[in-house]
Amino acid sequence: MADEKKKTINRLKSMYPLRAKVNETYLKSVEAIQAGKPAVWAMLNFYYGDPVLKAMDVEVVYPENYGAIAAAMGVAREYLDRADAEGFPTHLCGYSLTTLGYASRMMKELKGQIPPEAPLGGMPKPLFLMSSAAICDARYKWFQALGRYMDAPVWPLEAPIPGIKEFFIEGYYGRMVKLGVKHLRDFVAFVEKMVGKKMDWDKLDKTANLMIEVNRVWHEINELRKVNPCPMHSRDFWSAMPAALFLAGDLEDSLRLYQDMYKEVKDRVNSHIGAVPNEKYRLVFAELPPWHSLSFFDKLAERGWNFVIESFGYHPPIPLDLSKVSDPLERITKFSLQFLVGYYEDARKQNVLGGTSAYPYLKYAKEWKCDGAILHPLISCRSASTHLPYVSDMLMEKLKVPSLSIEGDIVDLRLFNPEDALAKAEPFEESMEHYRKVRKQEGLDW
Amino acid sequence: MSDKSKGLNKAREIYSNNSQRARELKAAGKKIIGYPCVYVPLELLTALDLVPYRTCGDIKEPVTEADRALPHSFCPIMRNCLDCALKGKNDFLDGMVTIHSCDPQEKTARIWESYTNYPYFHFIDMPVTVRPEALEYFKSQLNDFRKTLEAFTGKKLPKDKLEAAIKSYNQQRTLVRELYELTKPSPPRISGTEIVQVVKALTSLPVSEGNDLLTEVIGEVKSRTDVPEKKLTRLLIWSSTLDDADIMQVFEDKANVVMNESCGGIRAYRAAVKSTYDPLEGLASYYLNEITCARTFRQATPGETGKDYARDLQSRFGYLKGIIRDWKISGAVMLLVRYCDPFAFEMPSLKDYFDSIGVPSTYIEYDYTTGALAPLRTRAEAFLETISQ
Repeated sequence: MADEKKKTINRLKSMYPLRAKVNETYLKSVEAIQAGKPAVWAMLNFYYGDPVLKAMDVEVVYPENYGAIAAAMGVAREYLDRADAEGFPTHLCGYSLTTLGYASRMMKELKGQIPPEAPLGGMPKPLFLMSSAAICDARYKWFQALGRYMDAPVWPLEAPIPGIKEFFIEGYYGRMVKLGVKHLRDFVAFVEKMVGKKMDWDKLDKTANLMIEVNRVWHEINELRKVNPCPMHSRDFWSAMPAALFLAGDLEDSLRLYQDMYKEVKDRVNSHIGAVPNEKYRLVFAELPPWHSLSFFDKLAERGWNFVIESFGYHPPIPLDLSKVSDPLERITKFSLQFLVGYYEDARKQNVLGGTSAYPYLKYAKEWKCDGAILHPLISCRSASTHLPYVSDMLMEKLKVPSLSIEGDIVDLRLFNPEDALAKAEPFEESMEHYRKVRKQEGLDW
Repeated sequence: MSDKSKGLNKAREIYSNNSQRARELKAAGKKIIGYPCVYVPLELLTALDLVPYRTCGDIKEPVTEADRALPHSFCPIMRNCLDCALKGKNDFLDGMVTIHSCDPQEKTARIWESYTNYPYFHFIDMPVTVRPEALEYFKSQLNDFRKTLEAFTGKKLPKDKLEAAIKSYNQQRTLVRELYELTKPSPPRISGTEIVQVVKALTSLPVSEGNDLLTEVIGEVKSRTDVPEKKLTRLLIWSSTLDDADIMQVFEDKANVVMNESCGGIRAYRAAVKSTYDPLEGLASYYLNEITCARTFRQATPGETGKDYARDLQSRFGYLKGIIRDWKISGAVMLLVRYCDPFAFEMPSLKDYFDSIGVPSTYIEYDYTTGALAPLRTRAEAFLETISQ
């Protein structure tokens, strides 16, 4: 029994209060609506619109995140079936179908009341919707499609996505910033109208700074994971990320909690304590995890597999000194752009032109010294899957790091087969062992 | 015996072998630039004496090479286009211009650039809204595009040449609209299948040659006696891309498709580039505002703080009302290419819109392969039977 315990993932104690932020957010939004306060539905927007909403005391829920929760708690099926019956093609993003089915049930059947079966208190009817053009088309088209069910206006946040080469054309970055600042200024005016109060610019300034600091500390925590043995497993990353990524909960509290986490991870580094006892293999995971089957990672941990880095889209931007930028909207814009373009200079040097989503994995595998990559293509999330074959090619070609592809989905639990995946573990270990030798022969240092 | 070098026959020939002219021009010393989407402003290429060539897919070509670069559950058109490129079918290209018109285009652009080695490759970013700041950003994107083309060709782009190119493309847009006027009579004077062939031919030719072809086709169609057979239903097909004659023929076996509202039909030709002091301004406005692809986020009033579903539908689909009236449409097919998210999200709302104006409609999905033809036929026939009763 004691042996068995040793083999499981050694979770960070400091992770638990950060994970609790998600539940808090949903409950707060329901309470807010009951108290007559505004709540909105938002897409993950990479630090762009969130600080504005935060500074305006608007409670925010994220249907993407809620889709994952609904799937994990087994209620998504009903919403998926309802969206299907409403005429939405079944191959659309599973999160979007869950939300559309949920909205249909709430608005058409329950006249605006939260469905009783909805987990975590449900998502209340929003004052407005904040969508985002970042990452994929679904993330703005889906909120537009919600117009069938609710009269909430939509603000689609622009999100420029430059090519690697193109980004280095003279003046390009400045033009992205100009677009971002003007767009955000108009968004502030929109929120002011919707909420019926003026922006407190000092509060926005403070919120922006806290957001940047929270994410800097979060970045530093992940830098500590480069050591061997890695002190923090991907499961802790995914559990702790919402406070930094979605700005879930109070930011000052979040900053304190991430600082606590930094200390705990640093202590583990100093004491050579790994997240997995007897770390044999260091792995990178791309992209979205199988939320509904996370215990799969415990089984792999028993084999000495430590997931040391993961999910580029969930990672904080590479820190950038923005202390001299006086306009909070410009600071927010630059911080948000950094999420993507922070990798571009390196990607260009490496001539990785598919760099927007693919290059970070090259950096991860090299700097976190990974033996292998687990790729998780998702049937209904094409944006998180399209670059994976290229990632696999690139890791092998440039670093001699092998990949294992395990198909799944974000909400359709039937598409991920943990037993089948586990059966591939042993042959993949042989592959990782082989390429360790190849890397050594080629002068790579791990 | 008909003259194969003219009019509809010529369009059919070019459609069947659409890279032939580009290859000839390449052999004569011209530089050929590929593009996968109608959002790429071809005027800039033409003004610099480059020949644009649309890199289409081919439903008869099984995707094999693209399997190593793109997942299966991904836009089948982009997979097919990339597959053709990886098989060397576009080996005459000197470059590619890609654009962020949708997520699959953006994602494929990265892969395409990584797996090929053209002397020139450029990606144009494109906003999703039509807000003023988005337009300004898009104009700056076109200016960057101009700079990279100037660097590639070693030539400066004079304003008068760009204006002349805009004029030529506007003429092409006018001629295509004129061609579509010929589908208004009953029976139409030209079939939907023939128009697919003509439009695909246009995207394979320099603009001046395309305009000459259109002039010939229009003259021939106006005077022809062998017009298409009159069918019970006059169909509108709304799709992202319908650029294959075999697919169109599935519908035309039982109906007259008098309007193809896709980028293989009228979509890129319904409006014109306005004359502006800075030609890039007119181009940016046209390409961002006027092309009615589902990829653009439209709303009744930009930044609106209230929402009214009927007004919302009008802002997104209202342009179809005039088409339905003027072309006497009796049924509409919402033809979805599988995994096309921007169009897929529109389906229930567009159905609501068609219902609101009393047009029977159906949603049919296919995967851009010949294997899709039989099920497509079954669905099309079932719909046509239903609405003819």
